[in-house]
Amino acid sequence: MAVIDVRNLSKSFRVSASDPGFRNALCHFWNRKYRQVDAVKPLSFSIEAGEIVGFLGPNGAGKTTTLKMLAGLIHPSGGEVGVAGHVPFKRQKAFLRKITLVMGNKQQLIWDLPANESFRINGAIYDIPDAELAARIAELAAMLSLDKQLSQPVRKLSLGERMKCELLASLLHRPEVLFLDEPTLGLDVNAQSAVRHFLREYNRKYNATILLTSHYMADITALCKRVLLIHQGSLFYDGALAGIVEKFAPYREVKLEFTETVDRMRVAPFGEVEESLDRSARVIVRREALTSTVEQMLAQLPVADLTITDPPIESIIAELFTQGTVNAPASATKP
Amino acid sequence: MLKKLRILTVTQHALMLAYRAEIYLWVLAHVMPFLMMGVWVTASRSGAGGAGGGGGMAFALTPVDYARYFVCVFIVRQFSTVWMIHEFEWHIVEGRLSYFLLRPMNPLWNYVTAHLGEQLARFPFFIMVLAFFFILYPQARWMPSASAILLGFFTIYVAFALRFALQYCFAMLTFWFERASAIEQLSFLPYVFLSGLLAPLADFPEPARRIAELTPFPYVLSFPAQILMGQITASSPQLYQGFAVIAAWFAGLCLVGQFLWRRGLRRYSGQGA
Amino acid sequence: MGIFPRRILRIMSAFWFTSLAAEMEYRVNFLVAAINSLGQLAGTLFTLNILYRKGYHFAGWSWHEALLVVGLFTLLDGMASTLLSPNLSRIVQHVQNGTLDFILLKPLDPQFQLSTRNMSPWGFPNVVFALVLLVYAGMQVPLPAAAYALGIIPMILSGIILYTLWFAVATTTIWFTKVWNATEVLRSFLEAGKYPMSAYPVAYQFFFTFILPVAFLTTVPAEVMRGQHSAAFILIEAAVALTLFVVTRCFWKFALRSYTSASS
Repeated sequence: MAVIDVRNLSKSFRVSASDPGFRNALCHFWNRKYRQVDAVKPLSFSIEAGEIVGFLGPNGAGKTTTLKMLAGLIHPSGGEVGVAGHVPFKRQKAFLRKITLVMGNKQQLIWDLPANESFRINGAIYDIPDAELAARIAELAAMLSLDKQLSQPVRKLSLGERMKCELLASLLHRPEVLFLDEPTLGLDVNAQSAVRHFLREYNRKYNATILLTSHYMADITALCKRVLLIHQGSLFYDGALAGIVEKFAPYREVKLEFTETVDRMRVAPFGEVEESLDRSARVIVRREALTSTVEQMLAQLPVADLTITDPPIESIIAELFTQGTVNAPASATKP
Repeated sequence: MLKKLRILTVTQHALMLAYRAEIYLWVLAHVMPFLMMGVWVTASRSGAGGAGGGGGMAFALTPVDYARYFVCVFIVRQFSTVWMIHEFEWHIVEGRLSYFLLRPMNPLWNYVTAHLGEQLARFPFFIMVLAFFFILYPQARWMPSASAILLGFFTIYVAFALRFALQYCFAMLTFWFERASAIEQLSFLPYVFLSGLLAPLADFPEPARRIAELTPFPYVLSFPAQILMGQITASSPQLYQGFAVIAAWFAGLCLVGQFLWRRGLRRYSGQGA
Repeated sequence: MGIFPRRILRIMSAFWFTSLAAEMEYRVNFLVAAINSLGQLAGTLFTLNILYRKGYHFAGWSWHEALLVVGLFTLLDGMASTLLSPNLSRIVQHVQNGTLDFILLKPLDPQFQLSTRNMSPWGFPNVVFALVLLVYAGMQVPLPAAAYALGIIPMILSGIILYTLWFAVATTTIWFTKVWNATEVLRSFLEAGKYPMSAYPVAYQFFFTFILPVAFLTTVPAEVMRGQHSAAFILIEAAVALTLFVVTRCFWKFALRSYTSASS
């Protein structure tokens, strides 16, 4: 059975619009104008136990809203959600013990005290016996390579150390389902990879389900086999990470090296020429025509070497989101 | 210079408008004069009516005058409250002071105009509160003479300058201590006592009144309030005496403030902040 | 301990231990708070003294009985600074910074968490001054020892009323995140409790009894201690406290629903 099951989940907000100025404030007070914002349009997906799924989309796409609906912080406007056998927004104690939400831009640790003190509080709230708590802290601290940082006031820690402590605090109750909202926000490369490494290990050890959002593609490519792409509140891709290339980049780049000088005019018929030098050229070719084009190239041009590459996934996604060329497939497909 | 100040005030006003809900609530949080008004009006009424059997009770004012006095206290506080130390502390801690130092203008003016902008943003609500009060308590309504209004508001801004100078000196301590605002809070105590916020100075026992008049505190609250209600006019010697005391305190505080500012700045830039 | 299961005790001790430890980082504040509360008390007594030395007295209250009210007010104020203010003034921050989410994610009643999470020792000086004043005033009135025992009941009820008022105002921040001043407004109105209600005009008395029940905070407990209509006063106050508690609880639940259906 799926750990996370989402059917036609949607959320719309009523936003009041007001203009500055005293007179407008008065008018606004009496006569409010609202407009409806559909933050999340009906979306459906399900995630199996132990999966790590990446949740991608530009700012304001509705990722955080969706995560919060899954964590029970926001009441959905429509649709059904089931997480670990519970309805999130009822916020039953049993449900809350099974999940955690880590937000890269917010912190729960007490600023002026060592992280250990915050852990004690979480231990008390989640009803973890002292001995067990100490064992769990030690275990997670070892996985995160934290040690003396735990006894320093949080305000004196670096951003990376603080994030690791946040993770530790959020995982003390051994949640089965982890919602991570930008867990590596603002961290340097080393800290990012440490966090990634930890998440993978935690996932393996406890068969935890992880749904994460991130702006860093490296997080996604390192952790997730499966991704959900969301744009303007609707899901337009759900499938393997590798599948994105297939689906959204129906082009390949063919790199040619010649044995003699080849004029640009001779390369042009095969596709869009990106670059043409004396003895080399780069040509963009449609995927479905790839085999026949390559055959013809080999037959008609003095080819010394030929390589075919995928465009990098980061640039595909970036292009998808910036250009809004998301119109392509309207319905989400599963692999 | 005047043009610069005007533009700064206008932008600060726009900024303050964004916080108007807070500012309005802040007006409401200053109900103290109205509470004390209740106490004093009730007390003086019983004295006058002889209900408590107290023909001998010597209240300095009539019930209506108590009401007017405390309304004036409310008005004066609305235009003379200073909060620059909190902003200054924040600017130092966050290192924002550096931005102001880059401008070819003393950062002091930034804070002054922020206060003026805030008063402007508060004004409509202040008028509403005042109007509401006079509707509830029409007996206290009176029309101060034009000269009382002019002189009163002039004095209020003189009082504002004095309070600003005082807090400025405390704010400069931020260069040395992290929590200068906590120290400044202590100066609020004699203010509550001696400014005439809780009782008009005329009702103080004689020795207490003498001591109070030596401090700057009555001059920032009770003095402008008395001018507004017409108790002190251009012909009373108290007026000139009051201005003389304010001027002396103001000059002294300016010197101290300037000294601390120079010293503090040297320390601030020395730390490479 | 039936009402306080072991888990709650453990949580509370963790909460208070950590917040005391955090406050200790700023020791200067303690000194400032002590001087401040002494000064506030002195200011109240000074004004009271000015009034009473003129031969005036609040209708029905002798000098020492009025001191009793000041003492009760100072006690409540101290308790509020220790237990209420550090918690309830932080609700606004939680809403603004979005850290309310963390509280909602914990398997523990959010109102309980928000109300008990912190405590600060800043109110202690006030409590000490208040107790001194209460004992002194009580001896002068004079009050029998039984009056103090009887007074504890309405004081606890006052504490509950104060808490519910404060929590209700703090709850409104869920809609208006900019109104951090709202609790300050409440606090400044509560200052009216420094003096017995008969110090104020009838209109004020009406307002402070039926609209903002300040009268129940200090005047009623003092009446009970003086032994006037004690039973009736306690019953009325208990009814007020209970009603306010239930209403506030519902209001909070309602606010939370709108938070979870609107926040982003």
